[in-house]
Formats: sequence, C-alpha cells, structure tokens
Amino acid sequence: MELTEHSIPVDVARQRELKWLEMFSNWDKWLSRRFQKVKLRCRKGIPSSLRAKAWQYLSNSKELLEQNPGKFEELERAPGDPKWLDVIEKDLHRQFPFHEMFAARGGHGQQDLYRILKAYTIYRPDEGYCQAQAPVAAVLLMHMPAEQAFWCLVQICDKYLPGYYSAGLEAIQLDGEIFFALLRRASPLAHRHLRRQRIDPVLYMTEWFMCIFARTLPWASVLRVWDMFFCEGVKIIFRVALVLLRHTLGTVEKLRSCQGMYETMEQLRNLPQQCMQEDFLVHEVGLGLSTP
Amino acid sequence: MQAPHKEHLYKLLVIGDLGVGKTSIIKRYVHQNFSSHYRATIGVDFALKVLHWDPETVVRLQLWDIAGQERFGNMTRVYYREAMGAFIVFDVTRPATFEAVAKWKNDLDSKLTLPNGKPVSVVLLANKCDQGKDVLVNNGLKMDQFCKEHGFVGWFETSAKENINIDEASRCLVKHILANECDLIETIEPDIVKPHLTSPKVVSCSGCAKS
Repeated sequence: MELTEHSIPVDVARQRELKWLEMFSNWDKWLSRRFQKVKLRCRKGIPSSLRAKAWQYLSNSKELLEQNPGKFEELERAPGDPKWLDVIEKDLHRQFPFHEMFAARGGHGQQDLYRILKAYTIYRPDEGYCQAQAPVAAVLLMHMPAEQAFWCLVQICDKYLPGYYSAGLEAIQLDGEIFFALLRRASPLAHRHLRRQRIDPVLYMTEWFMCIFARTLPWASVLRVWDMFFCEGVKIIFRVALVLLRHTLGTVEKLRSCQGMYETMEQLRNLPQQCMQEDFLVHEVGLGLSTP
Repeated sequence: MQAPHKEHLYKLLVIGDLGVGKTSIIKRYVHQNFSSHYRATIGVDFALKVLHWDPETVVRLQLWDIAGQERFGNMTRVYYREAMGAFIVFDVTRPATFEAVAKWKNDLDSKLTLPNGKPVSVVLLANKCDQGKDVLVNNGLKMDQFCKEHGFVGWFETSAKENINIDEASRCLVKHILANECDLIETIEPDIVKPHLTSPKVVSCSGCAKS
C-alpha cells in the first residue's frame, strides 16, 4: 500500500497547507461564498497532514460530533443486538488484512472497528450492519480516532449514500441501473458489450460503489477519490466508475479479449493500471465533470 | 497427445452463511493454497477451474463466490442466473450456519431451475471439519436423510485449510451435472425421435397445460 503523498515540491505542499488552514478558520464563509474554490482544492488533493480534518469539515461530521457530546460513549456502553455483534466480529479480521493497523487479531485497529460498527447498529437499529460498511469504517480509522470516524461514517451512510447499506440494498441496485444508463452515453461500446453479455451492473459495481473504491484502486488514488467524494458527493463515484469502464471496455481492441462473460468479468476485476493511476484518474474524472 | 473431443463450461455457485469458508474453499480448489487473510466478499467474486475429466473431456468450472450476508440475498437472482449446479456450505463449528442451509436451498430452488424445470444439482459441504467440533455431522445417517429430504445430491465433510474432500465434492457435483445434461438434451431437444412413446421424462410446458 502506497501511503506517501505523490511528489510535489515542498514549498507547494506548504502553500497548500496554509491555504487549507486559512479555509478552516473561515469555513462557513468559504463554503457558502467560494465553494468552487474549495472544490478545486479538493480535486488537487487535500494535504495528507490535514486530510482527516478536511473530511470532517466537508462532511459536516465535525458539527454532528459537537452537537452530540458523549453520545458515542453512550452508544458504546449499550449492549447491542447479538445478531449484529456476531456478524461484525466475524468481519473484524477480514478488513485490510495486510494493513499494520488491522493485521493483528484483537489489535487496536480491530477493536476500534468493532466499537464504531457496533455503535452504528445502536444508533440506527433499523439499518443494522452491512458488510460493506467495514472497509469504509476502516479507511476512516486509518485517519482519525474512533469517535470522529464514527460520526464521519454516520454522515456517509445517512447523507452521502442513503440506503446503500440498508437491509433491502435497493439504493445500490437502483444506482447500478442509473450507472448503466449513464454508461450508454459515456461509452456506447462498453454499454453494448455489457448488455450483449447480459452482465448486470450489480455484478461489478457493487463493491466499487459500496466501498467507495477502497478495495479497488491503488491507495494514492483511493485518497484522491475520497477527497473529491467528501466535497462533491456520490457523483464522484459514478464518474470514477465511468472512467474505469471507458478505459477497460471502451474500444474495439479492448473488447477483443472479452469474448465471453467470464473474460469480461476478469477484465473488470483486473482493471488496467494506467487508468487507476491517481493523476490520470483525477484528470479524467475532472473532464467528465466540466461538461454539462 | 490427442486433443479432447468434448468441452463443457459450467457455472457453479458457492453459497452459504457468512464466514463459513466459501472463499477459502474456492481458493483451495483453484489455487491449491489457504490463507487466514481473506477479505470478506462484498457482492460476488469469481474463479475458474479447469478439470481434465477423462481423456476425451475437459470441464471448465466458473465458480461464483457469493457474499454470505443476508442482505445480499436481494441480489441473488442476478447471481444465480444460468448456473448449472451449486455448493451450499456450512461451518460445522457453528450450528446456526447449518440451520441456514435449508433457507439457502429454498432460495436457490425458488429462483433457479434447469431449462427442463428441474432444480439444479446441489452438494452440501460441512466445512472446517479439521476443527474437530463436528457434533453436527457425527451422525452420517442423519445427514444422508437430511440430504434426501432437501434434495441434495450428496454431502461431504470438507476442510479448505487441510485440503480435505474438496476435489471429491466437486467431482460428485460435476458427475451429476453431466448426467443431468444427458437428460436435458433428451427432454428439450425436439428433433430427437425416441422409440419410447410414453417416456416418463416428458415435461409439460405452460403452453400446453394438462387439463
């Protein structure tokens, strides 16, 4: 996993940090009056030293935490439904198993993961726990303490991706259909190919969308996508997925190696490295967003 | 060496409750290894296994590894489509996962049938048998009875970790699929003229309901 920031000169990095610090000090003003600038700065990538703070500002989870002092501890103390706790426990060692934070059974990463996933099932008993929440929660925990990560997770589940993790999984299936309709315009060739091979969107986009690409892209790209996602919302997920499909199945040449459904699925599970590279991907996503 | 005459491609499902070892079984079968570091499956995953069935026959198995959490059951209709067989897996150390077996079987049979209307062949796998807590399957006769009642073509005690019985279970399933396919060709191929005019295998279609 590549965790270092890609090479930008030190003075540029320092400049960016100062700009972000300035934004934090006048956050409401920036958000209401100069949102375009905020957006642009998220697209350029949030400095890693300020990323956790920026995600909490952008998602408004900071405010939620401040409005609910002690709530997280209260949720932690509640016993919880054994049905969910059982499932959560089974998943703890199956998130980023090679990341040092989550590798050790019962280590602090797995403990924190348990705390926030459990807290969510008590906070939203009607939603309970969905397996796709664990990787999302794990990414948050790599950046911030459990309480902050919890409120950030709440915002993702309630505001950014409502219904994605709910019992019926209707929202993700609906977004799969919407995605497929958008693909028709973005890449008619890929669209026709998938339709002919009867490859339903849920066969390839479920993990991408539900985990916000956390298990799909190289790490540097995951962070850049999450920076944009926290600022602009779910449309970033759609845009990224469209870029990936266009560069995997978008030309006659590429389709030549996808004779059958299985070959196509293999391609979609082993996406070309080049289109996942952070600068290329962010650039392509930006192109898509600038058109009406 | 002579090239094989026949090639078959079958889609097989691997289903069962969460954490019973579906992914581990597939990795063992396809890649001959085991790790305790697999990620939870979200949605569906795939793998391909090529079997040299006999000197004339090659069988390609497309294994579909389906997420075990109940809520992903809302997508199973899409996952099941055109499958020819399935493994239903439970964990011998967790009785609740065995209780879910009948539920998985019903879900499968209600959403998937062969072109002749019959249910697909399903083999039951009692996984993690290396852990020595298999109180459930101690009674082989009871398991045989269970399989008969619920329409499984067979059951195996397996261990992905110790590589026990996975090849055997797969051969059993493939054998039944191959046998089924012979039946299928006979029942849905209208150009085959058979001397048995009153074959019991004739299936009625919805267009010619027997009144």
